[in-house]
Amino acid sequence: MKNIDNRKYIIALIFTLIPLIFIVRLFYMQVVDDKWKERAAQISENKVITYPARGIVYDRNNTKLIANEVYYDIEVIPNQTENPDSVTLAGLLGISLEEYTEQMNKARHHSKIKSSVIVKQMPPDEFAMIAPDMYKFPGFYEVERTLRVYPKPIAPHVLGYMSEVDSGDIKRDSWYRSGDMIGKSGIEKSYEKVLRGKKGVKYYLQDAVGRETGRYEGGEYDTLAEQGDNIYISLDAELQEYGERLMHNKRGSIVAIEPSSGEILAMISSPSYDPNLLVGRRLGQNFGKLQQDTLIPLYNRAAQAKYLPGSTFKLLMALIAMQERVIDSTATFACDKSLVGCHNHPTARGVSDGVKMSCNPYFYQVTRRIIQQGKHKSHFKDAAVGLDIWADYLYSFGLHKGLKTDLPAVESGFIPNTDFYNNHFPSESNPYGEFRWAFSTIYSNAIGQGEVLLTSLELANVAAIMANRGWFYYPHFIREIEGGTVPDVYKTRQHTKVDPEKFSPVIDGMWRVVHEPGGTARRARVDSLDICGKTGTAENFKIYNGKRYQLKDHSIFIAFAPRDNPKIAISVYIENSGFGGTWAAPIASLMIEKYINGDVKDKRKEDRILEADLMPIEIMNYKKNR
Amino acid sequence: MRGKSEKIWSDVDWTIVLIYLILVSLGVSNIYSAVYNPENPGLFNLQTEHGKQIMWIGVSMFLGLIIMFLDGSLIRQASFWIYGVIILMLVVVLFMPAINGAHSWFAIGSFGIQPSELGKLGVALALSAHLANSPPAKTRMSPSISLSYLTHLFRVNWKTLVILGIPAILVLLQPDAGTFIIFTSFILVLYREGHAGNALLFLVIAIIIAVITLIVADTTFMLPFLKIKMGGKVGIVIALLIMALIFLLLIRYVVLKRNRPPLYRALIGSLIVAILFVNFIEWGYSTFLDDHQKTRIDLVLGKIEDPDGEGYNINRAKAAIGSGGFSGKGYQQATLANAHQKHVPMQSTDFIFCTWSEERGFIGSFFLVLLYTILLIKIVSVAERQRSTYTRIYAYCVAGIFFYHFMINVGMAIGLAPVIGIPLPLFSYGGSQVLAFSLLLFILIKLDSERKIVLQ
Ligand SMILES: [Zn+2]
Repeated sequence: MKNIDNRKYIIALIFTLIPLIFIVRLFYMQVVDDKWKERAAQISENKVITYPARGIVYDRNNTKLIANEVYYDIEVIPNQTENPDSVTLAGLLGISLEEYTEQMNKARHHSKIKSSVIVKQMPPDEFAMIAPDMYKFPGFYEVERTLRVYPKPIAPHVLGYMSEVDSGDIKRDSWYRSGDMIGKSGIEKSYEKVLRGKKGVKYYLQDAVGRETGRYEGGEYDTLAEQGDNIYISLDAELQEYGERLMHNKRGSIVAIEPSSGEILAMISSPSYDPNLLVGRRLGQNFGKLQQDTLIPLYNRAAQAKYLPGSTFKLLMALIAMQERVIDSTATFACDKSLVGCHNHPTARGVSDGVKMSCNPYFYQVTRRIIQQGKHKSHFKDAAVGLDIWADYLYSFGLHKGLKTDLPAVESGFIPNTDFYNNHFPSESNPYGEFRWAFSTIYSNAIGQGEVLLTSLELANVAAIMANRGWFYYPHFIREIEGGTVPDVYKTRQHTKVDPEKFSPVIDGMWRVVHEPGGTARRARVDSLDICGKTGTAENFKIYNGKRYQLKDHSIFIAFAPRDNPKIAISVYIENSGFGGTWAAPIASLMIEKYINGDVKDKRKEDRILEADLMPIEIMNYKKNR
Repeated sequence: MRGKSEKIWSDVDWTIVLIYLILVSLGVSNIYSAVYNPENPGLFNLQTEHGKQIMWIGVSMFLGLIIMFLDGSLIRQASFWIYGVIILMLVVVLFMPAINGAHSWFAIGSFGIQPSELGKLGVALALSAHLANSPPAKTRMSPSISLSYLTHLFRVNWKTLVILGIPAILVLLQPDAGTFIIFTSFILVLYREGHAGNALLFLVIAIIIAVITLIVADTTFMLPFLKIKMGGKVGIVIALLIMALIFLLLIRYVVLKRNRPPLYRALIGSLIVAILFVNFIEWGYSTFLDDHQKTRIDLVLGKIEDPDGEGYNINRAKAAIGSGGFSGKGYQQATLANAHQKHVPMQSTDFIFCTWSEERGFIGSFFLVLLYTILLIKIVSVAERQRSTYTRIYAYCVAGIFFYHFMINVGMAIGLAPVIGIPLPLFSYGGSQVLAFSLLLFILIKLDSERKIVLQ
């Protein structure tokens, strides 16, 4: 019996052991492990994100370039619906019965107690039609959303477009959730963080079927959505619009910069498209079409296309040679056509003459003196050292190294250096090699025809440097951020390696290009505007099936005006259209006149450009065949 | 008369009374919080659950008072009569209309009573009477796995089995599996009284082995250091062999030589039985259970989670308890376990522990667990101070019933026990259980208060 009496201790032990296990478990669940708190929040709270309106984008004259428009998403909470008549409802929502069924199945699959979108981005007028009947369908309700609208159908390459975030965007920035919109290009992308604003959050308590039963903690943790900051960009909407009209039926680009600030006044890439084509639901319909268009309208030629600069490059040769003291402003070289081809003209006496007449042999000689400075006995070594000096000067003009523009996809041009000819040219597998080349091998670069490539933006920046006599700001669009500041990089002057006084003879030549008989750009003349410019004509060809076809020259012009206190610097590049003076120069002058005077006097000049169809023939054929 | 009245109250165990009062009042306040409806705020509104609970507590306490004025011997003598009446009720209730698929209610208007709750009381009384009157277990045969031992066991215990079996089967017919399981709590009493041998210990060990087997049976793991991959079942068998080896060494060096042979035999026998049992459990699990049942077992064992399907209830319950944190969300601040949100199902009855733990946090849940533990230990100590065998057995019956309810209800809410719908004694909403547990306790208090004058 004694033995059996001891059993009370075993019973007492069990009676304390089990509660002890419970207490350990409870301590773990309630105090240590946060998992259940998260689960509880997921179960009992409904976090509703309120989306802010995006910041508005204005041009330099406070004209709206990008604004917001209200749309309606129709959403459903499957558990709250009361067997709606699918046919009626699908008809009301303006979708097919199949689509309605599919969307409803998706919604049910996603969550029975959380909302899913049934119809996206219903325009306000369509919603107004169905709004009175919505009450008949419990569980279905509208959610206000804003989408971008572009009041003027201009500058799509600058302004950019928006689309739903992809998985990469969400990975990069946890701010985004699936279905959010994000700027995918242009200003929309560059200033995404400024424009997007702050999301608001409302915490609701919900019951087991997902109905709201009140605010969590009386709304203590709720935040309001804050609209994104408005920004003012440097674009002049009127000038941009005018430039786009001028570029109609032409392929190429225009970039205009205010030299004193580096602000980009216009950036036109043609062919173009209406930015409103890529808004909301239309994005899906149109993006593919634009992508497949053989005219590649989505491509921003102004910032991405690398072009031969042609004779415009001669300006830089003259400046570098004078700064290196291998010539002075009075240097005279005969037009020796055995060196390089030229047109007929009087002998260029001095740099100003050389620029005015755009004499190829003259700049052959000038550039040869930069590259072959005679500091080394070996002709080849001399060229190798000279080329890197030459390239360093060009880098200081912002070429090749990147202009830090506030557009997301900006390319840099190309300035060849010693390494390039030693190791990479003519081909990676069979380059010239060290000390195997000299100026005579690479002389085409002197007249902008060799391996040098510039973008239109770089060309315009060269024009701005000419206007400023030796310095520039990185070209940019941002002027003002409400509640923010313009990045310092756009407020810092960049100095070239050429002294200001060296610019005088070159600018003198540029003025004479436009104003004097025998100048190459008489068509660019506008009375009283003192336009200074330089034409360029770039030979080009295309290879089809191994055969080389000479194509029509690219027509190039860079300019600034007025000569003193310049207000605008510009580059115009018209592909496959002919001489620089024929098309690019008058287009540049029209842009300058429009910007400075607000209007163009010479309507015949304007009409000639507006009516010209300079689309390259091969492209025209494509167009017809499409 | 003054003397008599003094006698009634002088030896009452006020600790148990105090714990009772704390439990029922916390219970009411907790139900009030769980079902609180701002549009219908009255505390004594009989349309509400807390209102009904208060009414039932009142009825229970009134009956308790009457019990205090009865003579203890009357209760002892009436044991089988009470048992008989309750059995009758359990039979009649089977012919009542089904509510939620079970014939378990006598409904009177919006009030109802479940005779199955009273069934425990009936069994407790009858079992006490039976065991107290039967002669103490005489020459006990040493346990062995032989037919003669089993027939001996049956011969001694068949009346006990009948007393337990009739209400258990009747309850199962309703069907009410939860209450059926509670009837196994009487094993505790049988164990204490020497009628169940070491069956209780074997049962506990068997359950532990079974649970471990089910958890690890279909897993494989790497043996540390040896880089040998092995199945879970092999692991259990090896663990059992190692344990057997340890016991062997213990016997070899601790036990007197002449006592060793039977212990060796018992050890080897147990080892073989254990290994067979492991295989049997695994075989039974994979052969007899369908996927649905396997899923339920896996959910209970925590091998899988299915928050929106099979595991919905337990997921919500755990989230409610876990989110209470250290100090809780505050009174009437539960966001999961309240009648308004309905995230936790049956939060005023089976899952009442969730509301309490969500609003009162770990401090609250610790306090409540402690309260039940004190009550259980207190009842054991009350049992052990009795000179009356009847009272001692009855006290152990009460302790067993309370313990089972507490263990399964709280264990279920925190995911340590399967989901079995039984109330938390005196705390959950439910008139029948309040009545049954109150009567169980009041009878115990009454019998205990006579401990100095009753010898039987
Ligand atoms: Zn010439």
